[in-house]
Amino acid sequence: MAGVAVAAEWQLLYNRYYRKPELYQMQWKNVDLTRNKIACAPFGGPIAVIRDDAKIVQLYAESALRKLRIFTSSGRLISETVWKNPGGRLIGMSWTDDLTLICITQDGTVYSYNIHAELISTFSLGKECFDNSVVECVFWGNGVVCINEAFEIFAVPDFKVPKTVKLADCNLEELPHCIAVIEPQYTKSGDVEVLLGVGDHVLLVEEDLVQPLAEGMGPFQKMVVSRKGEFVASFTHDGRLLVMSTDFSDVIIEYACESALPPEQLAWCGLDSVLLYWDDMLLMVGPYGDPVRYIYDEPIILIPECDGVRILSNTNMEFLHRVPDSTVSIFQIGSTLPAALLYDALEHFDRRSAKADENLRLIRSSLPEAVEACIDAAGYEFDISQQRTLLRAASYGQTFSSLFQRDSIQEMCKTLRVLNAVRHVEIGSPLSIQQYKLLTPSVLINRLINAHKHLLALRISEYLGMNQEVVLMHWTCTKISASAAIPDASLLDILLDKLKLCKGISYAAVAAHADKSGRRKLAAMLVEHEPRSSKQIPLLLSIGEEDTALMKATESGDTDLMYLVLFHIWRKRAPLEFFSTIQARPLARDLFVTYARSYKHEFLKDFFLSTGQLQEVAFLLWKESWELARNPMASKGSPLHGPRIKLIEKAHNLFTETKEHMFESKAAEEHAKLLRIQHELEVTTKQAIFVDSSISDTIRTCIVLGNHRAANKVKTEFKVSEKRWYWLKVFALATIRDWDALEKFSKEKRPPIGYRPFVEACVDAGEKDQALKYIPKLADPRERAEAYAKIGMAKEAADAASQAKDGELLGRLKLTFAQNAAAASIFDTLRDRLSFQGVS
Amino acid sequence: MSQIPNLENAPINLSAIRARAQAELETILKNVRGDKCLVIDPKLSGSLSLLVQSSELKKHGAELRHLTAEPIQTDRTKVVYLVRAQIDLIKFICSHIHNDTSKGLHREYYLYFVPRRAVVCEKVLEEEKVHELLNIGDFPLYMIPLDEDVLSFELDLAQKEYLADGDATSLWHIAKAIHNLEFSFGLIPNVRAKGKAATRVADILNRMQAEEPVNTSDMGIPEINTLVLLDREVDMVTPMCSQLTYEGLLDEFLGVNNGAVELDASIMGVQQEGKKIKVPLNSSDKLFKEIRDLNFEVVVQVLRQKATSMKQDYTEISTTSQTVSELKDFVKKLNSLPEMTRHINLAQHLSTFTSKPSFLGRLDMEQTLVEAQSYDICFDYIEEMIHKQEPLVNVLRLLILFSVTNSGLPKKNFDYLRRELLHSYGFEHIATLNNLEKAGLFRKQDSRSNWLTIKRALQLVVEDTDTANPNDIAYVFSGYTEERHLYPNINFHSLQLIFYSSVFACNLSYRRPIEEILRLLPGPHSEIKRGGYASIPSYETLPGSLNSSEKLADGRRSLVLVVFIGGVTFAEISALRFLCSQEGMAYDLIVGTTKIVNGQALTETFIEKLG
Repeated sequence: MAGVAVAAEWQLLYNRYYRKPELYQMQWKNVDLTRNKIACAPFGGPIAVIRDDAKIVQLYAESALRKLRIFTSSGRLISETVWKNPGGRLIGMSWTDDLTLICITQDGTVYSYNIHAELISTFSLGKECFDNSVVECVFWGNGVVCINEAFEIFAVPDFKVPKTVKLADCNLEELPHCIAVIEPQYTKSGDVEVLLGVGDHVLLVEEDLVQPLAEGMGPFQKMVVSRKGEFVASFTHDGRLLVMSTDFSDVIIEYACESALPPEQLAWCGLDSVLLYWDDMLLMVGPYGDPVRYIYDEPIILIPECDGVRILSNTNMEFLHRVPDSTVSIFQIGSTLPAALLYDALEHFDRRSAKADENLRLIRSSLPEAVEACIDAAGYEFDISQQRTLLRAASYGQTFSSLFQRDSIQEMCKTLRVLNAVRHVEIGSPLSIQQYKLLTPSVLINRLINAHKHLLALRISEYLGMNQEVVLMHWTCTKISASAAIPDASLLDILLDKLKLCKGISYAAVAAHADKSGRRKLAAMLVEHEPRSSKQIPLLLSIGEEDTALMKATESGDTDLMYLVLFHIWRKRAPLEFFSTIQARPLARDLFVTYARSYKHEFLKDFFLSTGQLQEVAFLLWKESWELARNPMASKGSPLHGPRIKLIEKAHNLFTETKEHMFESKAAEEHAKLLRIQHELEVTTKQAIFVDSSISDTIRTCIVLGNHRAANKVKTEFKVSEKRWYWLKVFALATIRDWDALEKFSKEKRPPIGYRPFVEACVDAGEKDQALKYIPKLADPRERAEAYAKIGMAKEAADAASQAKDGELLGRLKLTFAQNAAAASIFDTLRDRLSFQGVS
Repeated sequence: MSQIPNLENAPINLSAIRARAQAELETILKNVRGDKCLVIDPKLSGSLSLLVQSSELKKHGAELRHLTAEPIQTDRTKVVYLVRAQIDLIKFICSHIHNDTSKGLHREYYLYFVPRRAVVCEKVLEEEKVHELLNIGDFPLYMIPLDEDVLSFELDLAQKEYLADGDATSLWHIAKAIHNLEFSFGLIPNVRAKGKAATRVADILNRMQAEEPVNTSDMGIPEINTLVLLDREVDMVTPMCSQLTYEGLLDEFLGVNNGAVELDASIMGVQQEGKKIKVPLNSSDKLFKEIRDLNFEVVVQVLRQKATSMKQDYTEISTTSQTVSELKDFVKKLNSLPEMTRHINLAQHLSTFTSKPSFLGRLDMEQTLVEAQSYDICFDYIEEMIHKQEPLVNVLRLLILFSVTNSGLPKKNFDYLRRELLHSYGFEHIATLNNLEKAGLFRKQDSRSNWLTIKRALQLVVEDTDTANPNDIAYVFSGYTEERHLYPNINFHSLQLIFYSSVFACNLSYRRPIEEILRLLPGPHSEIKRGGYASIPSYETLPGSLNSSEKLADGRRSLVLVVFIGGVTFAEISALRFLCSQEGMAYDLIVGTTKIVNGQALTETFIEKLG
């Protein structure tokens, strides 16, 4: 069987198989792990290498200056830089989750490098670390814990926030034997917990707490915490491996090693076993059974991953992991599980052997699970031809199975294509399928673009149907940073050519980057291409293109953007300059005025004054005069009317200065005069009912109060026309029902607008008898007819209407009398007679 | 029957739009956990009554308040403000918070802007130093369906803000609302606009499409075929005249707000002294749907007819032997009895207004004004109204009609009437006059009026096409007017005719004479074709006629969205519905408007006291 060769490479640990396929032959030359400090990032990340200054090494034909070199997992050089940083020996070096290389020197300085070996930032761990050198560091995902010569412990919980936290003092007298860290995300408190191997026990150290654990179980020479912080593996001074829960209450594995010498490296292999590495031997210990031994004749480094351990040596990289169940079911020697038979069937089929059919018949009922197992096993393979064979077996089985979910083969192919692409020696990211799923495709893409593998990232995101914007955006920004020598116009063309691939990409964001890179002109050119004004305009403001921003905002029709620009310019420019800017743009001006009118009166006044719109200032002053009146301090009739009138007069003068506003000027003058008169009236009548009523109302009030003299005075002061005067007086007299006075008034002289006001006033007051005094005096028979109709005298109305010879009027009157049949008939006869006359 | 209209028969899925708005409101209420005091600005609360019932809001633990200058009295610790983005409202909120702080009250404040956050309002919040105390969000309510075929953008002040203040915010909102519609129903391929504001909205809409494109490829055939944008400014005459349709009159006299009219319970035959009740008015009421667009006189006749036939049925039932199915029919008819009673009550109440001589006089005057033949009579009439100090709105309404039909008044008359207005109503109304002048509604004459030309030209269109081309729109209109002429007191509606001719000149048969008339009406016009639809019929490929060939392939009639910027009256909507119902009309219509208005409401937005 073909599986034999595969399974021959497996090792059995109790009941589980392990294998360690080679991932890469390292591409580097002359890298000796023993001479160097090495930092390897998990998830198939890069490897940082620097000569170890703690060791005495022989320099061959190389510079005495150390070089920091960054390689891919396949050993391809990504970048290098000369290490010239002061601060003494390099104590710790590690990659963070977002692939920033953190280097900590003796004096407590933290240097952050990106994958291109460019120094991004530095910060200090603080004075205590500067004064008492850092001795040891333990890193986790995004943080570090370190201990200095004064045995003080510090933590940086997150490198994105360069802040050092001092942990509780645990009064150490000597350096602990070992240090391990439980990541903040897996602790109860949410803060980092440090485990120190001290004396014969362990100290759990937090920010404000020290707690002894595992008393009498030590001394512990080495400790390492499992990935999710549930377990701790430790090596005691008497050569035992102890695996315990992190509260040290449960011992899960106890294994006595042959040597009491602590191992150089101790690491978790997934969650199932622990690896111990001495000089030339790698020992794998599981919960049960005999451990597995591997012999290495060259130094290695263990790189823990979520599902196994990568083993780096000078020449190659291997991946030690548990053989997944599906693979076991196919390749285990002598397996007769459906998956194994299916795999076998394919081989027979390829050899045109009829046994293929026989195999298939055997597993008919469990075909779907066999197919599933083949697909699953393919996913775990690093060898492309093996992947292919397994997938072919799956697809072969699928043709005989109607029940199977058909897209899972496709899905797996997709995933494998992506994995194979990034595993390629050139890229050097040996991700397993589990790591890939944990890492997520979008993080993978971010890692690729971070490593400037934009094309591959773009292809993958396209292939997986993800948004390409991230990739293009990063490419563009990188391109801008890297193209200082390319003139703006040609760079713009290069960028636009790529940017057009992605619809809806934010040109504004690109422009913002160009601006940050000191290419303001390019930024201005790019922002021109941003279709969304809501993105474009804030950027234009930030690059100081206020006038363009104002123009664009006006074009967009979005008043909210206009206000944004307005307020920005307002803040930045001197008032006068601001005024002249907006005065030139009607929409901007009107919006400013609207806002200022309801919020910034004084400033608005300045604006109108500076732009010579005196009438507008006058309106504002006039408006203020009312606000003054509303002021509770200015109770009616108080001398505060003085300032009020002054304001109105000021308005009057301003109106006069502009020729076009004679009407307003006159009105303001009259208003001031009116207020004075009303004020006097209130004083003489001792009634606060005049101020702020209109001229007509004032006259009415005077008449109602019987003060005809005052009424007449107001009339002459404001040249009230006779027409209006008659209406006002008649209505006022009717209001107080002074019918005698009304009659007297009607006889004063021939009323200039006839007797209609008298009739209307009486009718409105419901005084039919009074009305009848005036109706006959109405000159127009039509009016007479309507008046009679209003007081319900149908006959008289009809007579008057017929006198007017107005058929339409008759019709209308009839409608008024619709409810009254007798009256209606009168109108009908009359109208008939009329129309007859009309015809003849 | 509910005030929230039933939208099942809408030509596009308006319920989805409403459901989305409802869901958004619910999310807002859910996001603020626990008991809260919900403070709504009163105008908005009216609009919301078309969206949710207040009991629904209370379900989310909300205590309801209206936003006023007064501090809110509540013991809730969370206050949620739901307001339109207006500075004066924001000032209220600031004073509330200042008031709470001065009393040492600590509350959580949430502020939701409708329909979106506004820089200018946040600026005020910053100046008042309350910005950090607020959690700010928005409630993107850009439109509310008022009925099956009417959408409102709820922008009461659009006309005034744009014309008098030069504030074009509402135009952007309208464009945004339409663009949102396009996201649901596809890019509208034909856009026609008449009037300054309308062409601007078309322009902004296009810009929005460029900025945030509606995907034309995966939406299929757009559901709305044509968008007609009309600026109220094009015709200020129609809304200033009294409406004579049933629904229009209800609005004129009783005020229809948010699809309901509020009146004394006694009028509706409910014996509860002094109690007000709300009567919902929308097409869920079958009878109302039938009569809302008819002239009021006709409505009275229809109601009488129905009552008579019912009585007849009743007599038949009681006298002769009936089959069971006949009985069933009768009972079915009885079901419409509550509707009958409702509208008979309303009609009766209305007729107390319509029979008043003052109303008839006003109609007469409106006609005289519109005929524009006897300037002096009009002038004297308005002068007298001012002297008699009749309600200012009524005076201004006629004054606007007077000024618009004359392209302004001669300076002497203009100044004289203005002075009389100030003398009669107070100097504070200088602001009102100023607004009207800026908006061009009451102004000095600077050119000869072309009103008579417009009027004549449009009437000519009617006469010409009457016989020549029976399929023409104008024919439809003359039919429309003839029908009106059948009844007394309603002979005047030629203006609406003008208006709708222009609508359809924009829209359907694009014929030269109408284009010339379009030019006579104020404001520019534009037409734009958009999107890459090859399969959609456009006017070029169609003859100017309204043949049945214009129907879409699936048998549906294609849909025209007519948007009125600055408001539309019920009577105008009725006229549009009438048009749609004509045989040979290949279009369904949906009306969009900044707000349902009438002359009074429109005029009131311009009234501003300086004090």
